[in-house]
Amino acid sequence: MAVMTGIERIGNLLRRKPVDRIGVFEHFWGDTHKKWADEGHIQEDESFEDHFGLDLNLCWPFNLVAKTDFKPEVVEETEETVLTRDGNGALLRTHKLHEGTPEHVDFLVKDQAGWEEHIKPFLKPTRNRIGFEAYRDVKRLAAEHDRFFCWSGVNVFELMHPVCGHQYMLMGAATDPDWVRDMVQTYSQLTLDLQETLFAEEGYPDGIWYYEDMGFKGRPFISLDMYRELIQPAHTATVGYAHSKGLPVVMHSCGMIAPLVPGIVEAGVDCLQVIEVKAGMDLLQLYEDYGDRLSLMGGIDVRTLYTNNREVIDRELEGKIPVVKGKNGYILHSDHSIPNQVEYESYRYFVEKGLELGTY
Amino acid sequence: MSEDLLKQIADCIQRGKVNAASPYPPDMKGEDGADELTRKALDDGVPPNDILEKALMIGMGNVGHLFSENKVFVPDLLMAAKAMSAAMAHLEPFFSSGEAKHRGVFVIGTVQGDLHDIGKNLVCMVMEGGGWKVIDLGVDVSPEKFVEAVKKNPGCVVGLSALLTTTMVNMEKTVTMLREADPAIRVIVGGAPLTQEFADKIGADAYSPDPQGALDFLAQSA
Repeated sequence: MAVMTGIERIGNLLRRKPVDRIGVFEHFWGDTHKKWADEGHIQEDESFEDHFGLDLNLCWPFNLVAKTDFKPEVVEETEETVLTRDGNGALLRTHKLHEGTPEHVDFLVKDQAGWEEHIKPFLKPTRNRIGFEAYRDVKRLAAEHDRFFCWSGVNVFELMHPVCGHQYMLMGAATDPDWVRDMVQTYSQLTLDLQETLFAEEGYPDGIWYYEDMGFKGRPFISLDMYRELIQPAHTATVGYAHSKGLPVVMHSCGMIAPLVPGIVEAGVDCLQVIEVKAGMDLLQLYEDYGDRLSLMGGIDVRTLYTNNREVIDRELEGKIPVVKGKNGYILHSDHSIPNQVEYESYRYFVEKGLELGTY
Repeated sequence: MSEDLLKQIADCIQRGKVNAASPYPPDMKGEDGADELTRKALDDGVPPNDILEKALMIGMGNVGHLFSENKVFVPDLLMAAKAMSAAMAHLEPFFSSGEAKHRGVFVIGTVQGDLHDIGKNLVCMVMEGGGWKVIDLGVDVSPEKFVEAVKKNPGCVVGLSALLTTTMVNMEKTVTMLREADPAIRVIVGGAPLTQEFADKIGADAYSPDPQGALDFLAQSA
């Protein structure tokens, strides 16, 4: 088969149609670029997409924080951490020396009353929530390089917990499901309203990418029943909107979410990413169970790259790629992101070997 | 009679029935919960330690095992912990008088550089439900702070949590310093990037992929 462009390749892979090779994409921790640039492997202003020939570009153009004009207040600062209150009224402690998810210290919203007082009235589909220029720039850049361009952002699960924290959200799901339903409905409608505005003015992307972390080590946060009752309606609505415009949908989730996959497939998601091995996800099992209905991206144990040992990387790739490329629906990606412990040569080798194995 | 009451309390803990006002779980709406039933048990003269061991620990143990088996999920565990706290509030005075006894002291924290706390908090809940006095040092805890807590609580067990591959390396330093301070200290480690192999490598006594596993390890090794 002739060599395809990124747009053609990813477009086909998300629809499980024939391609020249598997796709390739990756997420990197921020300090990885700096280290590899300091070592002279990549230019400071050079993107990973350009350098490694990745097949996608993503743009995250929405700001869905409740108070968009709120300037984060520094409440406390130490040598290593800083405690701030954000535009959702959440108190977050972040580490200054490295990247990572912040500690959720406290929230103004702990129940429906707090949600209705501090958040809901502010969630209007106003133009200042949309980064028109950023979207336009990345869309143009992707087109120039024939890369598949995705609008990216978070879906409802990832929008609720920054407001009230996982614990209040999950207890609310048990004790006050109507409150959680209201948050789900509000955020999904806001997302759709903003997408309508953006796409009407700037044109459609090639696909939609939702980040939606619903699992942790060994299990999802919620049961499949609770997913179907509370979260799936938003996924069905947002994925359905994308499909109505001819756009395939990728859904990312960290953690072990295998029990939720039947519901995610029912919601119409086209591709599951990132398939976190260390949390308990199994790429080969997913492929066997859903490979005819669901494209897959990721599932390569990033810990094998930490070894910086080509034999270990070979074993991981050779055990998976020849199998999962079978139904024309696999995109090479680690099972999370590439930290700076991974040497440049190791990652470069990972891409070359993966694509060699993934060529049809 | 008291056996029935203890079983009712254990059921309330397992199902997350906090008190009569709580609408959860829907099929127990309007019924007394762990709060009222524990008060009643004490008023009826049930020994506080019996309530702890034959009701609270049984209820939390049941939900902990169901959680390990992926038969219940985080909302169920959180509600069970809330019900247990409501019951435990009635028992607190009896820990000082000695009429109720903790199984031991469990010092826990997320290691230095790591600010994640959900997994650690779930372990705290299950350990408390298992009868342990939990001292939660929080997140981003330095090895020195762990050592200080161990010196203040001789004979305690230590739990170390990490979510990031970049911070799990700090566990090794913490384990080393803890062993220097107290060679007999028992250390349990857990968190997303960890494996039994890593736990063995850094000299931890146990690795647990879930909260109940930590409790079961301590029960077996007591």
